Amino acid sequence: MLMRSSISSVTLIGVLCATLNGAWALDETKYPNWKGQWVRADSAETAPWDARKPWGLDQQPPLTPEYQAVFEANLKQLAAGVKASDATARCIPAAMPRVMMAIHPMEIVVMPDTTYIMIETSSTLRRVFTDGRAWPKEREPSYAGFSIGQWEDTDRDGRFDTLAIETRWIKGPHSYDDSGIPLHADEQAVIKERINSDKSDPRLLHNEITTFDNALSGPWTVTQSYRRAAAARPLWTERVCSEDGQTIRIGEEDYALSDGLLMPVRKGQPPPDLRYFNQKPTQD
Amino acid sequence: MQGRVLMRVVALAFAILAFAIDDGAAFDATQYPDWKGQWMRLGSGQGAPWDPAKPWGAGQQAPLTSDYQALFEANLRDQAAGGQGSDPSFRCIPTGMPRVMIAVQPMEIVITPDTTYVMLELFGTLRRIFTDGRDWPKDIEPSFAGYSIGKWEDTDGDGRFDTLMAETRAIKGPHSYDSSGIPFHEDGRAIVRERIASDKTNPNVLHNEITSIDSALTRPWTVQRNYRRMPSKEPIWSEYVCSENNRHVQIGSDNYVIGADGLLMPTRKNQSPPDLRHFQ
Repeated sequence: MLMRSSISSVTLIGVLCATLNGAWALDETKYPNWKGQWVRADSAETAPWDARKPWGLDQQPPLTPEYQAVFEANLKQLAAGVKASDATARCIPAAMPRVMMAIHPMEIVVMPDTTYIMIETSSTLRRVFTDGRAWPKEREPSYAGFSIGQWEDTDRDGRFDTLAIETRWIKGPHSYDDSGIPLHADEQAVIKERINSDKSDPRLLHNEITTFDNALSGPWTVTQSYRRAAAARPLWTERVCSEDGQTIRIGEEDYALSDGLLMPVRKGQPPPDLRYFNQKPTQD
Repeated sequence: MQGRVLMRVVALAFAILAFAIDDGAAFDATQYPDWKGQWMRLGSGQGAPWDPAKPWGAGQQAPLTSDYQALFEANLRDQAAGGQGSDPSFRCIPTGMPRVMIAVQPMEIVITPDTTYVMLELFGTLRRIFTDGRDWPKDIEPSFAGYSIGKWEDTDGDGRFDTLMAETRAIKGPHSYDSSGIPFHEDGRAIVRERIASDKTNPNVLHNEITSIDSALTRPWTVQRNYRRMPSKEPIWSEYVCSENNRHVQIGSDNYVIGADGLLMPTRKNQSPPDLRHFQ
């Protein structure tokens, strides 16, 4: 009798614990632990889209001849000191997929219905909807795009390990990196990502990013990797581009600002048209 | 004997339960209020004044010190003359705390055990309110969102948190309470305390009692902001990119505007054009 009571009580403990486990541990045990602060694993000074290849032409993007010509023209402009092809110089967000280089820290918050990817670069917030929704018919393009994701348990251990994401409606102009590798101006690019932890190092995350774009002759797949910062309570900063923006656009021309003065960004650049001013510029 | 053993086993069961609850409580979504969805400001008058119960501008009756009252009035005169006064947001400088909590644009609140994220479309503001029991760091780099530490409270004792108490420090300036330019002290030492709780009768209404403690004030200034939850289950989130279509440019200490024809224009009568000494 005593034994039966004890067994019953122990069973009760088990049931209660199982109930608790089911109540509070459901999400935590179902999803991978991607908490913390992530930054790109490749620490090279230049940040080429494909970290395995040198910056610039050596990226060998599979561009159509038309967009290869655009890319080469962008590189020539850059060599002349003009960043016209890189909208981030004018505080336009880096956009998808470039922002996923995670040049600045990134946080991933996994919730059952949505995974939030928060990147300090351009104060980007990506919502990856994992609630099973269908694609809407239309969406206003945005730099982060509209993302739907699906969790996969690829090793069948009962826990999701891979987040497969598709992103559409990405606003332009945008480029893969600061060398100006262009995406098509039609804003029809589709980005597919597969994010998963490294098999042997949980502090390493991989993101296989495939871009489908009309400026490409075929899909372009590149893997970005991120390293988790060691700090348990990492430091998060705020990047306000407009606070220290050094480039302004007046009409169709970009100008630099230095010590509060307007500067040309290329040799022989004309000054802005001042027809609306009555006075002549101040000269010391 | 049998009863004592049984009691011990039951005691052990509850001890394990208590441990499990204590250890696992942080993971229990049912312990926190349901603040999911898209929230928008509720009941703010024209011009989105800081205190929605009072008119915009001087009608706010901000308890400013005489120095800062004078600054505020000068700013109002500048605005009346077509200037921007002391409100830096026209230059795409984030409105910062606490102004961003007016929620002029939609807001989402994501609760996790260690951090509550307040995501505001305005200026892409992301607030992290740390609820992991941390102490204040010795030095904090000021930011427009500030550094926030929060604590959950179960005010009605029903076993579920219902109120988030947050304190925010290290708020970067310049910043003002609203577009009328009610200023904060330039010492950057403002502290903002919030008490965020659901309405007692309507779960789709959220209240935020916000108290600002600042050297530009003669006393703490408490204002209640309210938010309503949008009914859509799949709300549309937009992206607010201020610099994308901003017509204002600052060159040196002067503000100019770019006209519809793409040409630089003055913002006030007889304004000098920019110095073009670097152009040949």
